[in-house]
Amino acid sequence: MDYVTTLKILVIGESGVGKSSIILAFTTGDYNASFPATIGVDYKCKVMDVNGMKVKLGIWDTAGQERYRTLTSSFYRDAHGAILVYDVSEPRTLTKLNEWAEELQVYSTKKNIVCLVVGNKIDKQNRVVPREHGKAFAQKHRMLFIESSAKTQEGINLAFEELVQKIIETPGLWETGGSSSNIRITNDSERRQQEQSSCYDYTCTI
Amino acid sequence: MEDVLDEIVSSEDLQKFEKVFHEQLHRGTVTHKAQFEYAWCLVRSKYPTDIRKGILLLKELFNSHPEGKRDYLFYLAIGNARIKEYNKALHYVKSFLEIEPANQQVLTLERQITKRMEKEGLIGIAHWALLMNALLGVHYLFAKKKQIKED
Repeated sequence: MDYVTTLKILVIGESGVGKSSIILAFTTGDYNASFPATIGVDYKCKVMDVNGMKVKLGIWDTAGQERYRTLTSSFYRDAHGAILVYDVSEPRTLTKLNEWAEELQVYSTKKNIVCLVVGNKIDKQNRVVPREHGKAFAQKHRMLFIESSAKTQEGINLAFEELVQKIIETPGLWETGGSSSNIRITNDSERRQQEQSSCYDYTCTI
Repeated sequence: MEDVLDEIVSSEDLQKFEKVFHEQLHRGTVTHKAQFEYAWCLVRSKYPTDIRKGILLLKELFNSHPEGKRDYLFYLAIGNARIKEYNKALHYVKSFLEIEPANQQVLTLERQITKRMEKEGLIGIAHWALLMNALLGVHYLFAKKKQIKED
């Protein structure tokens, strides 16, 4: 094995928001317009280069359907990062993220798990949710935020890069042992990235 | 876990959903949800008896609750593959693919099952070859002994 560590990344959110499409776009660069509903939990992996280190990502794609809600929570255990996805053309899916965030709080075992909110399907003509709403949600829950389109690939790689970078920077989250990270410095800062067409903001929790 | 066939349910989960199922059974009506949740845990158990029980519950659901068919077929395939009933597992995979031919999750599962069949088939051949070698060796020794005696 030539990678430094394996990180467990969880992808959650309502049914049909594009969780599997985001993962497919990230792992293979493909897009499938009619993705069937995920059954239970699916697993994909990808090795990523972060600061010159090879990091293996184990990505857990959970079914968004209600019937799986009680079942998939057991997969939250030991996750280093979570991606909470909503659909920018369906406001309800953002409101529902409150419930997913609560579940994450209850079932995730790593107290400083890094979370990223993704507003997906920005390629759609009928966008209803303004980016500010998604951003406000992320800030309220102290999560990173990005908008994406699995269809056009916009924001996809950046989303995973941001999340993994943040996990690597979080002391005690992935190293073995380490200090008890009782000190939490919350630093709300905004940043605009010029090189990407989609700018992003983040709220960081160290 | 890189393979859905290797994933094992936690004992807390199994106990949790077993309790709900038995409580409902005791009261006389079991919901599809409770039965499916319990079956989902059973087919991911490390004990073949649990898996077989899960398969029975899934078959029952498959016949009584058409809305959940794709989920039941998928886990029937997983359960059977885990107890090495590969042909049955592939039968469920094929039934699924008749409805959704391009389902990536199921196509991946199909690959994993055939890979296991090949691997275990090869191991079977290897064992057979070893046994044959041993038998031939013994035969050779006996023949040698006989030859020495006759000499």
